[in-house]
Amino acid sequence: MSSTFLLRIARLLIIMFFQITIFNYTHLLGYATPLAIGYMLICFQRNTSRTGILLWGFVTGFLFDSFSNTAGMAAAACTLTAMVQPSLLSMFTPRDAAEDMTPTFQTLGFKNYFFYTLLLISILHSAFYLLDAFTLADWQLTAISIGASSLFTTLIVFCIELFVRPRKQTKYYS
Amino acid sequence: MRALIDLIIKSKHWFVFLLLEAISLLFLFSHTGYQKSVYFTTANDVVGATYNVISSITSYLHLQQENQSLEQANEQLRRQLHEMEHQMAEMRLDSLCKNPWTDSSYDLINAQVVNATLHKSNNLLTINKGEADGVKPEMGVVCSQGVVGIVYMTSQHYSIVMPILNVNSKISCRLRHSEHFGSLIWERGQDNIAYVTNIPRHAEVTLKDTVETNGYSDIFPSGIPIGKVQRISDSPDGISYLIRITLFTDFATLRNVSVITNYQSEERQQLEQQAQQEKQ
Repeated sequence: MSSTFLLRIARLLIIMFFQITIFNYTHLLGYATPLAIGYMLICFQRNTSRTGILLWGFVTGFLFDSFSNTAGMAAAACTLTAMVQPSLLSMFTPRDAAEDMTPTFQTLGFKNYFFYTLLLISILHSAFYLLDAFTLADWQLTAISIGASSLFTTLIVFCIELFVRPRKQTKYYS
Repeated sequence: MRALIDLIIKSKHWFVFLLLEAISLLFLFSHTGYQKSVYFTTANDVVGATYNVISSITSYLHLQQENQSLEQANEQLRRQLHEMEHQMAEMRLDSLCKNPWTDSSYDLINAQVVNATLHKSNNLLTINKGEADGVKPEMGVVCSQGVVGIVYMTSQHYSIVMPILNVNSKISCRLRHSEHFGSLIWERGQDNIAYVTNIPRHAEVTLKDTVETNGYSDIFPSGIPIGKVQRISDSPDGISYLIRITLFTDFATLRNVSVITNYQSEERQQLEQQAQQEKQ
């Protein structure tokens, strides 16, 4: 069993723990509820197989659904996000980046990493909240929730990133 | 085939994606009440719309059969319409009157007027049916508008008809409304005017009442229209009315007529002859 796989398992369990114990009960201003599980999808290396990312995304979402009573919503949203992750990452990857590059502050640069994270997290939240609302009748509220939650989650992702990857860390650590 | 397999292998992540999304949505729709209801409502709409489209297509494909059945229905309706028009033409004088033409107790022989005089005192019509066709003297002649006259003489293939427009013609008739009977006579002059005599003075005669055959003779069945009351006046003897009527039959354009056959009852004739003889 490769170290990458074990690291992903550990990452998944830790994020899931914080998600179901803290973030699920965080409703900033009544709108913003972060989905920190998105961090799982952000961290996939450049050369990871798309099928692998999809399976990881599905499992992440499915675990979240199991603990959050959101049957299938997060699984569908995470699978969709996992599907677009490689394409999105290639948009922000520098030309001279390594084949197995892990997206971080250091590898992508602050600006690219911010937009990459924000876009991916926005896709995740859009899918999740749209499936949750399942109607566009109250689209303003849904849009505010998506926007606020995406920003909040992006902030959390940055905090996690700063915590787990200090400045001096190697570029290609995954 | 190889290229197809390569394509499938190359894009396997799409299949995995669709499979995982399908599983996720299956969970969602089977466990969450609102999404489930929305899904089924939408699915019903989509299925309904799909069936609608399919139904439109299949109904279009069945148009040929529909056309055939409609054509048959049209043909049937056309035939019925034709029959109705025919019957209405026969009854157009008065829709309320009993239709004597449909009485099955006698037969009609259709004939055409081949010669006619209208401006003499003794006008006569020649029709193109004679003894060979079963036409005999004393048979009634009618047209679709009403009474024409009585067969006067016959040859093998032609017959002479004494029309109402003959001063010697005398036909038993009655008023439809009051059912008082009289005799129809004609005076030389107009070819659309005749007179009814012997209507008793106590009879209620109204203008525009229909005058019709009364069926007392064995020439015409009862109810065949003759004309409409135009003017009511006293007869010269002063004991009855003299009613001027407008004839329904337009003799000026008369072409197609029918001879009433089989109406004369031999039994009746014998009885009446016997009575006459005993009286003498």
